[in-house]
Amino acid sequence: MGDDAIRLPAEQQYADEVARLRERDSLTGQTLPPGWRLTPRAVRSFIIGDEKAQVSRKFYGDDALVDRAIVTLLGKQGLMLVGEPGTAKSMLSELLAAAISGNSNLTIQGTAGTTEDNIRYSWNYALLLAEGPTERALVPSPVYQGMRAGQIVRFEEITRAVPEVQDTLVSIMSEKQIMIPEFGSDARVSARPGFNIIATANLRDRGVNEMSAALKRRFNFETVKPIADKAFEIELVQRQLDADLGPRRSEVTVGPDVIDLLVTAFRELRAGATEDGTALKRPETVMSTAEAVNVAFAAAMEARYLGDGKLTPAEIAHQLAGVAMKDSAEDAKRLRFWVDNVVRERARSSANWKQFQAAAKTLWN
Amino acid sequence: MTFEDPPPRLARALDLRRALTGRGVWFASIRHHSPACARAVRALIRDVNPAAVLIEGPETYAPLMAALQDPVTRPPVAILGLHRDGDDTHSTLYPLADFSPEWVALREAADLGVPAVFIDAPYDRDGPGDDLARTLQSERYFAHSRTLASLAAREHCRDHDELWEQLFELGTQTAQDLFEQTFVWSSLARLDYEPEVLESDGTLRREATMEARIAQWRAAGPLVVVTGAFHTLALVEALGSDDAETKRRRIQLPPAPDPARPAKDAWLIRYDLTRLDGLRGYGAGIPAPGYYQRTWEAADPSAIVTPCLVDIARAVNAAGTADLISTPEVMAAALQAQRLADLRGHAWPGRVDVLDACSSCFVRGETGAAPAVRDAVAKVFGGTALGVVPDDSPAPPILAEARDQAAKLRFVVTDAARRTVSLDLHRSGTARRRSRFLALMSYLGTGFATKTAGPDFIAGVGLGRLFEEWQYAWTPLVEVALIGLADKGATLAEAATTRLEAAEADAASGRSAGAVGAIVAQAAAVGLDQPLDRLLGKLADLIEQDPSLRSVVAAAARLLGLWQVRDMLELPRPERLLALAGKTLPQIAYLIDGLRATPEEDEDQAVVTLLAVRDLGRQMGADDWQPVRRALARARGDGATSPGVQGALYALAAADGDIGDDDMGAWLQASFGPGADPELTVRRLAGWMRAAPDLLLHTPELFEAVDDAIVGLSPDAFLALLPDLRRCFTWLKPFETAALASRIAESTGLNAEQIATVSNFSAGDLARGVALQRQLTDWLRDDCLESWAEVTHA
Repeated sequence: MGDDAIRLPAEQQYADEVARLRERDSLTGQTLPPGWRLTPRAVRSFIIGDEKAQVSRKFYGDDALVDRAIVTLLGKQGLMLVGEPGTAKSMLSELLAAAISGNSNLTIQGTAGTTEDNIRYSWNYALLLAEGPTERALVPSPVYQGMRAGQIVRFEEITRAVPEVQDTLVSIMSEKQIMIPEFGSDARVSARPGFNIIATANLRDRGVNEMSAALKRRFNFETVKPIADKAFEIELVQRQLDADLGPRRSEVTVGPDVIDLLVTAFRELRAGATEDGTALKRPETVMSTAEAVNVAFAAAMEARYLGDGKLTPAEIAHQLAGVAMKDSAEDAKRLRFWVDNVVRERARSSANWKQFQAAAKTLWN
Repeated sequence: MTFEDPPPRLARALDLRRALTGRGVWFASIRHHSPACARAVRALIRDVNPAAVLIEGPETYAPLMAALQDPVTRPPVAILGLHRDGDDTHSTLYPLADFSPEWVALREAADLGVPAVFIDAPYDRDGPGDDLARTLQSERYFAHSRTLASLAAREHCRDHDELWEQLFELGTQTAQDLFEQTFVWSSLARLDYEPEVLESDGTLRREATMEARIAQWRAAGPLVVVTGAFHTLALVEALGSDDAETKRRRIQLPPAPDPARPAKDAWLIRYDLTRLDGLRGYGAGIPAPGYYQRTWEAADPSAIVTPCLVDIARAVNAAGTADLISTPEVMAAALQAQRLADLRGHAWPGRVDVLDACSSCFVRGETGAAPAVRDAVAKVFGGTALGVVPDDSPAPPILAEARDQAAKLRFVVTDAARRTVSLDLHRSGTARRRSRFLALMSYLGTGFATKTAGPDFIAGVGLGRLFEEWQYAWTPLVEVALIGLADKGATLAEAATTRLEAAEADAASGRSAGAVGAIVAQAAAVGLDQPLDRLLGKLADLIEQDPSLRSVVAAAARLLGLWQVRDMLELPRPERLLALAGKTLPQIAYLIDGLRATPEEDEDQAVVTLLAVRDLGRQMGADDWQPVRRALARARGDGATSPGVQGALYALAAADGDIGDDDMGAWLQASFGPGADPELTVRRLAGWMRAAPDLLLHTPELFEAVDDAIVGLSPDAFLALLPDLRRCFTWLKPFETAALASRIAESTGLNAEQIATVSNFSAGDLARGVALQRQLTDWLRDDCLESWAEVTHA
């Protein structure tokens, strides 16, 4: 999220924490599930934090969901994380893979162009022509590698791949093997313990409705929801903004009331209702917490380089407009409805909202 | 559960508690409806062998103790209290399940042959809450405690209920350890509250009573005191420091109520598990009573996981509306629950583990659980058990009456299941009596019965139907509702009469015959003869005063409707209905004159009323109807009558053959002929079409007149009136519209198929096209090429 350092995979970024948890596991003498590098409890600590083991909390939200996800991965079923964009599904899948397999890089990104070869294996055609179908000529897919190594494979945005291609997973998940007829009629790669699949699906894409029933049955579904608690969301945005700003944090003044305003705006537009329940027009664009952090960051940059170094509701209004305009002109109208009705009312009694309204007026009216 | 650093007040209280235990006062700090606490109470009582068991519960309930300890009584049961406060009556509930510690305590005491005594102050209306039947065991303090919330967050529990389960329900402590821990747990919550809050909601007053009663019983020997854990801290502090000052401050209580005297305004009633469910808003509930009932009954609590999941799967599969759940999936869910328990450090899978397993394994898709899955989980976790109370336990007379009548009329009142009955009102006298009873119970708002099909006597709809279908269920809430009616009358009929009178007072103040007519129908439908007589008298007075034609017509229609179903309702002296309906006619004739000056915005409603008048006329004798007929003719002939009303009057006259061709022709000429104001024309047409749309097809004169009038409109006038015209024609049925279209096509020399093409242009396209055409015509005219424009028209 806006960090200018090259992003490291979770298992490297949090290598010290993983090491501490492994040490704790070996001290307590608990047996590891086959193929796992940490005990389920250590995996849980890795994701939701453990003060005693000095492990930070990485996933904010539903702890019970994390429990269910870990336990699902212990069994035969795959794990399907569904939810609105920006609810940290991919992050959760990366953390799970990093903690369980020590490798979160076996990843397929689902797109309209994803083919069966991307899921099974393909060939290095030069070698194939030169040597025929040999091990060397075979290009293994992440699934192939995960099966051989007994590791977790991640399939991001699975619903963006066409259903026929998704269905390649059906036999892989039920038989836990891939046949390789090119090597002979009995040739196959069989999954080692520890192999499983975490798929993520975005509700704003085609959705899981088009997914075949056969494939659905091979997954346990978990719906990742936006953060329910407002105070917590404010804290999270604040914290993430601080992290994103890094050394520049001291150059911008960010008042908690401004973050409160930003989060209020996001929560109301996301829910399509004000805090006291008045119905709003809900924009189609994603109003996730991650997006709120993006807006906060961009607004902070604006305050730092174009303003006087103090983040005000005006900058928030400018950047929020950018978010709303992203998808459609219709969204801009919806936002204007919110400004004209809700914000205008609040502007009467709150200086912050007044400032927000003034800045919004120049943009949208 | 360990506390490295307990707050000083808590540390002192723990010492006091131990000291009191040493002196024979054993505190069982319970959570209401907690199986773990219930087991511990049983173990404690057997261990201590007390001289008496003191239980938190209003001492005014003492006379019901015998019924509670009666071997026949089986939970879930509840003590229902009725509290009158001037005109205001409200009720309280004190429910007991098999796994309620209070229940176990009082039954164990009975087994030991020692007194079980309620020691709480009588209920007094203070503190928050306004639900129908509020509970006397509210535990909102736990739900709102900051300390418990942060403890839950630290333990990764969703809420205090999950925390409670993890700490206590899934624990393996001994009884004494458990109660020491619940004491700490609840004291932590207690320390979050200011004394002012506890004073204002009556907690302190109740605790003073309990303290004084315990002190009185000290002399009897060892005591087991079963109270909500929230109160134990206060009791321990008050009783532990047993110095002179405390004794002096202790309140002087009147002698405890005599258990031998009948209870006043309190009854033992049957209850059901579903309503104990904390998740359904019951204030003292533990979530999932059905689940805890299973854990209570099972010797090994881990053994209930699979049966629970199997029952859920069976319920889902039986519903047939969601994907079937296969046996391997049930097995996977059982494994999932076990593994979740392992991960969370539970000794065996608890409620949340089983729920989470269902969520993982039975829910597929993005929108959450299918309704069938949700229902199945709710059913299994909520439970359906219904309690038993001794047959001879007293009930308020109205409740006994309702139950006896229901039983006599062969309705099942021995369980709470919902049933459907179909009643043949036409042929069976029993069916009619049953119907009236159900209608009465429904009118009283008891929640016993709902009509799902059949004639609606009150609205006067569907009176031709011969069968009625009802759904009914004798749930404990029906009993609660009936007892709540006790102050409205001693019998069902009295309570219903009180209710009718209230409705009547409202209606009479508005001088509305229609509203009183509805009450008459209500009284007739529930079979209340006496009020019916009075109501009919009232209606006779009101008819002459009511200024609203609509309301008088409605009253007359109801009377005729009741006359029509007089046999089904077994109405006494039905002829008076007809007589009264006849009395409405002069008033109707009088009020029709008032219709003439209807303002434009009310024309629609006036036409609807006219249609009702006409329906009435069809049911009345021709002689009686004469005055109305004359009034209608007068209004029709009056040139000043509102155009919409007039159009409707002519339409109705034409439809009923009340008007000669000449009159009709003259009116058409005047209304639709050249020179008529187009706006008034359309209003007349609107009235006509609302009243008798099909006449446009069957009256060639009208068709031609309307056609000419529309063709003769200037383009601007046409566009301006188009929306109203469109509305006029919406009253035609689709096939009539088609017939009209082909008639129009014919008259313009076109073939109907030619104009019946689907055009994919919008109203905007049409407007643009029309504007273009007009501009083109203008240009051609400017260039003296009008003849070309004629060509384009053709």
